[in-house]
Amino acid sequence: MARYAIVTDLRRCVGCQACTVACNAEWDVPAGQARTHVRATPLEGAFPRLVQSPFVAQCNQCDRPPCVEACPSGATAQRDDGIVSVDRAVCIGCGFCVEACPYDARFIDPRRRKVDKCDFCLERVAHGEQPACVTTCTAHAKYFGDLEQRDGQVFELVYGRGARRLETPAVAVGPNVYYLGTAQQLDLVQKSFPPREPRLPAAGEGWRRVVRPLVLAAVGATFLGQAVAFFNQLAKGEKDFED
Amino acid sequence: MRTDALPLEPVPLSVEQAESMLQSHLKKHQVAIVLLHWFNASVWGLELLTGLALITSPWFRFAPAWLVEMVEGLFGSRANLIRFHVNLGLLWIFVFLVYGVFGFRTFLAREVLQKEIGLDRDDWRWLIVRTLRILGRSQEPLPPQGVYNAGQKLFALAVYSLLPVIMLTGLVMAFQLFGPAAVGWAVVLHFAAVGLVVAGLLIHVYMGAVFPEEKPAFFSMITGEVNEHYAYRHHFKWWREVKQAELEWAERQGAEGRPAETPSSPGPGPTSPA
Repeated sequence: MARYAIVTDLRRCVGCQACTVACNAEWDVPAGQARTHVRATPLEGAFPRLVQSPFVAQCNQCDRPPCVEACPSGATAQRDDGIVSVDRAVCIGCGFCVEACPYDARFIDPRRRKVDKCDFCLERVAHGEQPACVTTCTAHAKYFGDLEQRDGQVFELVYGRGARRLETPAVAVGPNVYYLGTAQQLDLVQKSFPPREPRLPAAGEGWRRVVRPLVLAAVGATFLGQAVAFFNQLAKGEKDFED
Repeated sequence: MRTDALPLEPVPLSVEQAESMLQSHLKKHQVAIVLLHWFNASVWGLELLTGLALITSPWFRFAPAWLVEMVEGLFGSRANLIRFHVNLGLLWIFVFLVYGVFGFRTFLAREVLQKEIGLDRDDWRWLIVRTLRILGRSQEPLPPQGVYNAGQKLFALAVYSLLPVIMLTGLVMAFQLFGPAAVGWAVVLHFAAVGLVVAGLLIHVYMGAVFPEEKPAFFSMITGEVNEHYAYRHHFKWWREVKQAELEWAERQGAEGRPAETPSSPGPGPTSPA
């Protein structure tokens, strides 16, 4: 099975947002939202040794995706090829996964009222094409491919040229979007856009910590109670009751 | 026989009295209620099964993973599963709306509000004695009950207050109403309300279908009738009410000069205990 990944060479990226536009057009992304977009780090250092970098954000299709555990209905699932997909027919729009994502890669589409995010252009990949952002990139800064293909370009970039992924010791969920750049540049990106701790909204947290244990206890208690009564009844044996 | 001849509390019956009462039947449930009950029971069975399978996350789910996978397999896909759950839920809401609107005067106002959910002193006493008796800690006779006993009343009370919660939260989730935060809370409330009903449902099913003393109650949900002996023993206040109505009717007939028809099996008077 494949393990798809995207490598973005931040030295080549010019921040033109062509990828953002291509993605929005391809997937009919609502205004004000984006499956992928280019941001910029703050300017760092002192003249003339200034450092700044563009940063291309998108879903990382993590190896251990926190959004999958947070999804109550199973609309968000990890495929065998590593891509984390959303089944809109199953999504109820509760937004738990939006809070769970350490990279804030998810949003609720206000028209459909369901969650949306980058899925490496699943439909295009299924037809043997490259994701829209990769084919559109004006600077040829993006590479898409299978990490398990040892003679592939992506494999070479990740394991041969030391592409880095955006992780911290606290939040290491195995993202599959890699970045190439100068060490200084990548340090700055890492510092400016670190992943945050996965979290749940109050409703999800209350469900997980309070409501679910209480319901399990209540149902368990009545089940045990009637089981005791039932065995009492069996022990007494069948007899004709007065009525 | 005059209406004041009816006993005020259950008195022991002679064998003949018991025999004749076993043969006579009282109408307990109307056909509409019997049908609604079994429609509701079927919906609950299916909605519980699909609902359990709809929660996949180990953080939230109630059912083991194998059950989730099995039900999903039965339906072919998660999309089918949720479609089934939502559409059956909508049908369920629609049927209860029809019941609530068209049956308001016949059923809800008369039966439910008056007889099903008000607990009196005898009812509270009944709850204690019933529990002790099931646990084998008491032989005390149960206090007399109306057409529904205190256990049924408590369960009805819980169900009538939780059904609207289940329905409304279901609608919020099905149509993603009021934004993600509302949907998030709707999932939790839906789960909590169903969980509470299920806790009571286990007792309801056990008492109704398995517990030997309540067997006639189970069959009354099929035929609509219970035998008079069961009514006398388990729902004395209701039995007295029915008998009193019968006797008053007979008295009126007599007063109008028509031959008074004796009720099928007059209850034992206080003057003629066994």
